[in-house]
Amino acid sequence: MKNTIRQIFHSPKFLAGFSILAAMLLVLFIYPLFVTGNPLQMIGLSSFSKPGTYVSVYDAINTTPDIMKLPHADEKRLAAKLSDDDRIAMKEWLVAAGIPEADIDITDTDALLELWSDNYDPSAKPAGMTMAKRNYYKRLNANLEAALKGTEVVVSEEDPETGELNQIKFVKDTDYVNTKDVVNVINLPLGTDNFGRDVLKELVSATKTSIMIGLIAGTIATLIGLTTGLLAGYLGGWLDDLILFITNLFTVIPGFIMLILISYGIGQDKRGATTVAIVIGLTSWTWTTRSVRSQVISLRNRDHVNLSKLSGHSLARIIATDILPYIASYVVMAFILQISTAILAEAQLSMIGLGPKTSEVPTLGLMMNWAMLYSAHTHGYWWAYFPVLMVIALISFSLNLMNTGLDQVFNPTLRD
Amino acid sequence: MKGYRKYFSKKIVWFILTFIIAFLLNFALPRLMPADPVANIMNKTARGLSDASAVKAMYDNYVKEFGLDQPVIVQFFTYVKNAFRGDFGVSFTQYPRRVNDIISSAILWTIGLQFPAIIVGWILGNVLGALAAYIRKGFDKVLMPLSLFLSCVPAFGMAVILLGIFAVKLKVAPIAGGYGFDLIPNFSWAFIKSIFVHYQLPFWSIVIISIGGQAIGMRSMSIYELNADYVKYSRFLGIKDRKIVGYVFRNAMLPQVTGLALSIGTMVGGALVAEITFSYPGLGTTMLSAVTSSDYPVLSATTLIITIMVLIANFAIDIIYGFIDPRVKAAQFD
Amino acid sequence: MGKTILEVKDLTTKYITRFREDVYAVDHVSLSIEEGKSLGIAGESGCGKSTLALSLMGYYFPPLHYTSGDIIIDGRNISKMDPDDIRKNILGTEIAYIPQAAMNALNPTQKIIRFIEDVIHAHDPKMPKKDIHDLARKRFEELGLPSSVLDKHAVELSGGMKQRTVIAISTILSPKVLIADEPSSALDVTSQKMVIKMLRNLMEKGYIKSMIFITHELPLLYNVTDDIMVMYAGQIVEKGTAKEMVFNPTHPYSKGLMGSIIVPEEGTRDVKLAAIPGTPPNLKKPPSGCRFADRCKYATKECRLTSVDLKEFGEGRSYRCIIDIEKLREEYANE
Repeated sequence: MKNTIRQIFHSPKFLAGFSILAAMLLVLFIYPLFVTGNPLQMIGLSSFSKPGTYVSVYDAINTTPDIMKLPHADEKRLAAKLSDDDRIAMKEWLVAAGIPEADIDITDTDALLELWSDNYDPSAKPAGMTMAKRNYYKRLNANLEAALKGTEVVVSEEDPETGELNQIKFVKDTDYVNTKDVVNVINLPLGTDNFGRDVLKELVSATKTSIMIGLIAGTIATLIGLTTGLLAGYLGGWLDDLILFITNLFTVIPGFIMLILISYGIGQDKRGATTVAIVIGLTSWTWTTRSVRSQVISLRNRDHVNLSKLSGHSLARIIATDILPYIASYVVMAFILQISTAILAEAQLSMIGLGPKTSEVPTLGLMMNWAMLYSAHTHGYWWAYFPVLMVIALISFSLNLMNTGLDQVFNPTLRD
Repeated sequence: MKGYRKYFSKKIVWFILTFIIAFLLNFALPRLMPADPVANIMNKTARGLSDASAVKAMYDNYVKEFGLDQPVIVQFFTYVKNAFRGDFGVSFTQYPRRVNDIISSAILWTIGLQFPAIIVGWILGNVLGALAAYIRKGFDKVLMPLSLFLSCVPAFGMAVILLGIFAVKLKVAPIAGGYGFDLIPNFSWAFIKSIFVHYQLPFWSIVIISIGGQAIGMRSMSIYELNADYVKYSRFLGIKDRKIVGYVFRNAMLPQVTGLALSIGTMVGGALVAEITFSYPGLGTTMLSAVTSSDYPVLSATTLIITIMVLIANFAIDIIYGFIDPRVKAAQFD
Repeated sequence: MGKTILEVKDLTTKYITRFREDVYAVDHVSLSIEEGKSLGIAGESGCGKSTLALSLMGYYFPPLHYTSGDIIIDGRNISKMDPDDIRKNILGTEIAYIPQAAMNALNPTQKIIRFIEDVIHAHDPKMPKKDIHDLARKRFEELGLPSSVLDKHAVELSGGMKQRTVIAISTILSPKVLIADEPSSALDVTSQKMVIKMLRNLMEKGYIKSMIFITHELPLLYNVTDDIMVMYAGQIVEKGTAKEMVFNPTHPYSKGLMGSIIVPEEGTRDVKLAAIPGTPPNLKKPPSGCRFADRCKYATKECRLTSVDLKEFGEGRSYRCIIDIEKLREEYANE
């Protein structure tokens, strides 16, 4: 036993899978210690905020600034102000003014501005250009000049009695505040979702729930599969025929459809994460039954089993001491696979709207479902779905890797 | 020939039996569940209705529609009779559209998408797996972890990622649908081209996913076969390696055919969800909208149709397998 | 004395394990067979006898590698030949092989006749299929196999039939040397007899000129082969005629090996059955002295320190032991 375990941990594949999984589990337990609170709490009133650190503008204004003069600060400001459309329009003007198209790089803000200030002439009337268009260029130019000059922003307060605006503060372009001095700052490494919830916090909680679903479903499926496989394989006869028939039946009838029918029947309000896990477990045991049955059949006429039978040992004892230890490796492998299939099944079920109810805990599938329902994927809000997918893939990948490693240890013909 | 006949008649009996049971389950499962399906529907459709008598009338109407006021056995026979006539009733949400009408257009899209994708994925996966087993070093080391990873990304995940890259970021593919929004289905060139363009992303996301799993299976089957005694024996009789590789891959392919039969249900399930991502007008998307709008007749018909499709696919693979593996024939003489 | 068909001089081959360790499973083995003769090789499992069988064909696949020595078949040295040349011109035509597990030696999804076509085409690509079919049918019938076997798949044949089919396929090109690696150990007694009869038949009809028969079942060797060699830990420890080897073994290991069987011959009924204690040495790090010393009850300190060469004594007999023959004989007589 000890030797087997050492051998397993010598398999690079198993080790790689195990490390990935262990690292993920570690994060799942450590992260909530630092970031507390309800993962379903809606902190954002707007949906799909980008990943990053959010600083309260209100508080920032009221924080004492330090004065700094950063290199290229103006250019950056301008670059941020210039939209892609503006840049293309500028290029159009420049081309009309006779600059070779190849010399204009609209992504290089500095060079573009230099060309612009050298060549723009508000009085010029390029051929074919409408009045409206010329006015657009005038406005654009004015904006650019204003931005380059570096102006102050005035903060005013309304006098509650007179309704007059009193200037109370000037924010200069050289004012900088330390985010540590701002009282309200939130760090959202993965932004927010459609309901304005912290995606990372939600993801950690969802991963935990999904792994739990995987474990529950995997345990149920393995227990059913093990029991039926043992009975069918060891006892044989009509019981074997019956179990084999049912197993074949449920291999052919898609488990996914069964899952849909049952989940739909249970109804949204009664579907908790645990219920979903149980339903998944109940519909996915066929693989375990198959592999346990075939292993037991090859074992049941071995000498040591016959010896136990002749010695009059009870069925339970024979199974426990002469059969189970020999099929343990297959059962463990089947269990690991069941976990990853169950996590995937939950995700698929949730995607078509039959997952756990949405009010209790997030699951990976529900997060995907929300992201799809609110079209995160078509709008490019990658943070709402991509990390979820990666987590699903990584869990499944690490479990499969562990399984491949185990397979190589237990079935040496597959060894490299 | 006797062996084959025995094999095929066994398979036909088995097919009919599974068909009947699948049919029964489709009827019974939703009815066995604790929740009242009508109450479920009412939850959504009657939301906002405050007039109790109106709600009651609606409830009774649904009960009647379902035939729930009749004994279960009567319900079942009505269900069987209607199903065999291809009549699945009227959709709740797209009233008065008939369910067959909704389903029959969706079936074509689903079959047209999934059948070629699964076959292409299966073939590519087997070729890559065989190459990995044969070449081993390097190729194997890169390809296998990659395949394993790919096979772990769910089909809908691959769909979302491809969509994000090609449709949203690079804008070289359409974002959703089976054809352009502005087109009316007809046999014009523009429409066929639009179908083709919309086909690419869903197709390749299913293909890529199937490749991974198949390649892994084929690789270990091939390695197993490469170590088989007949390989050694053939070598020592002076047969060329290339010929022996031919034996090996043919033999490794055979279990892959049965493997396809066993996993086709799972694959179809995954591909259905991938459809949703693309709002592809197939059964997956139909199912989603049926679930979200509690359109019970549509959902029930969809699940039945999918089950039947998977059963037929399975049956077809079994029949093909009987012809290509001589061991099947031999086994029937035992 | 007949013509020498196969001569092997100091053949050494090794396995390279996954951990890049060398395992010398065949260590400086020399042997020769004359036309019309057969040689038996005996030893416990893992002694290198199956590896020797594979090594004799001069066609190596990882993890097995050629190290040194010569293999001369009918005057032609094949040990330095190009592998593709060996494949085309030696395997099957000069030297053929019957594998240990003939049960699985045939491709399960191929008809026997298709496989025979492939075998013959590997050496003579131009031979018409009709000629191949005629040859196969004729040969199968001559060897007592129904020609209907040709149109069957391996899975449709019984174990004994499969084994005999394999023998017929291996010898279809009338090789000069046939190497049979435990050809009958997995079979029931009746099938065993038929296999032996078939091998004899092949020799008599001249389809094979000589044979090497590898087994752990010694009584079989006594009945089948002219000479016997005993192998231990990759080396030959004793060789001689079958009769000499069975009734008068010299090396303590041969003695032990012969002692653990009953030879169906008059007056042998009271021979005690004795298993040899212990296990063979690890060939990754073979002992520097006599490899059998750890299991030998006559071993002295010297045995463990000095390695011993094969010593000849009398017509075609040699043994590998530091102790004198007379002394050993005396010890055996005292037991």
